[in-house]
Amino acid sequence: MVEVGDKLVGYATDDEVRKRGASGGLVTAVLAAALEKGMVESVVVLKHIDEYEAVPIITDDVEEVLASTGSMHSVPVNLAKYAVDRKVAMPGKPCDIKAVIEQSKRNKIDLDNTYLVGLNCGGTMPPVLTKQMLIEMYDIDPEDVVGEDIEKGKLIYRTKDGNEKAISIEELEEAGFGRRKNCQYCQLKIPTNSDLACGNWGVIGDLAGSATFCEVMNEKGKRLIENAVEAGRIEVEPASDKAIAIREKVNGVMVKMGETTQEKVFTQMPDEERLPYYREALADCIDCGGCKLACPVCSCGDDAKCTLFHNLGDNYKMSMFHLVRLLHLSDSCIGCGQCTDVCPVDIPITRIQMSFSIPAQTRLNYKPGMNADEKPPFFEVMIQ
Amino acid sequence: MADNNDWEPKIVAFCCNWCSYGGADTAGMGRFQQPASTRVIRVMCSGRIDPLHVYNAFLEGADAVLVTGCHLGDCHYVNGNEKTELKYQFLEEMVKQLGLEPERLHLNWISASEGERFANFINDVTAKVKEIGPSPLKPEGVS
Repeated sequence: MVEVGDKLVGYATDDEVRKRGASGGLVTAVLAAALEKGMVESVVVLKHIDEYEAVPIITDDVEEVLASTGSMHSVPVNLAKYAVDRKVAMPGKPCDIKAVIEQSKRNKIDLDNTYLVGLNCGGTMPPVLTKQMLIEMYDIDPEDVVGEDIEKGKLIYRTKDGNEKAISIEELEEAGFGRRKNCQYCQLKIPTNSDLACGNWGVIGDLAGSATFCEVMNEKGKRLIENAVEAGRIEVEPASDKAIAIREKVNGVMVKMGETTQEKVFTQMPDEERLPYYREALADCIDCGGCKLACPVCSCGDDAKCTLFHNLGDNYKMSMFHLVRLLHLSDSCIGCGQCTDVCPVDIPITRIQMSFSIPAQTRLNYKPGMNADEKPPFFEVMIQ
Repeated sequence: MADNNDWEPKIVAFCCNWCSYGGADTAGMGRFQQPASTRVIRVMCSGRIDPLHVYNAFLEGADAVLVTGCHLGDCHYVNGNEKTELKYQFLEEMVKQLGLEPERLHLNWISASEGERFANFINDVTAKVKEIGPSPLKPEGVS
């Protein structure tokens, strides 16, 4: 049977599910099987609204799981907090999985109860900017789009009338569109921290587009696959060497791109320019607290240190709220970009946070969200 | 603001009750000269010093902040100062990244008998801060 470390190619046995899924419907089928057989109490999935909007739902209805969306590039939501205090199986981008693991380190999520199906992710796109991009760069009415795909570094949109248009991601990003800024320098594309790392990279030949490549990362992933095979929901076969090589190659190219962008974005600013830059950027803050609420790592709750000592009347030269948050997350920021997304005054919070986090994490040689047994350095105080 | 030489920096020194506060006391009893630039805040243990306190000091107008406590291994509360050290590492990194001069933040272990060491420490820091001038985070209207 299936062993930990196995690399498989599989697809859903149900034709309807296989067709609707982005690549073979394996993830949907695995989640449905886990729910059906009582491995979990509920499943977190995205419910499709339109091409640019989907809402996360927690459901215990197998039909609803099967009806969930395929992959959506323009819905950059982080699912981690939906797993808090529940026995769930959930799909997730690498950053969702990172966040779940960080929450488990903070005793909010019990990893034994949570099954994580990771999805390969080359990056997500902000919905509003995407619509604007479709009008300006693609000359397509956003309402006419029926499908999207990323292939060979190009972003492809299919319209109702059967046309396709492809523009290279590099070109889009130079024009200020394309993936979210933090995705451009993200360096985890295959979620090796999940239980089951799935995606369409490495699916070749006849199966291309109708099967999923998945790697069994641990015992929980093995249970997921075995359960789904037993339930008759999926069929799997070992991946060929060529498929594995292609997947590695795609991953290598994407990670390399991320590294180059990171170097470009985080070139060290001269000492004397840094403080004015941070002060000016954070001066726009209207204290809505959205970044704290949206942060999938933060787990303090309502009475947190960052908000507790924050008083507008103080008229400080820099926001105490942000100073405390920058420090508290300096070892644990996973760079998911949720804070920048929700910020109503468009402060590039993720970029600012990462300029503190990257040096700290490099120095400590700590990668947040990768290994559940590794405690955050900030917690590492021995009590003898 | 007058000439830089007349300007006396404001330095906030967090001292732990058992060691460095005693050190400050000893410095006084031993009549070691030190500038009147420090404002000492006594805490029961250096482990009590939250990075938040340090930020608050800076935002309220401190030109430098000193975090002091017992020597490692001598903590009155077993390992409070090890916690301080850990927190300080993050704080130091962050102050550096923010673009504040690293001379504005110091960590030092001073025992109750080391009065001279305390006085010398204050002398050194004051001289350095006088050189680099007032803190850019000082609110308007605070000298």
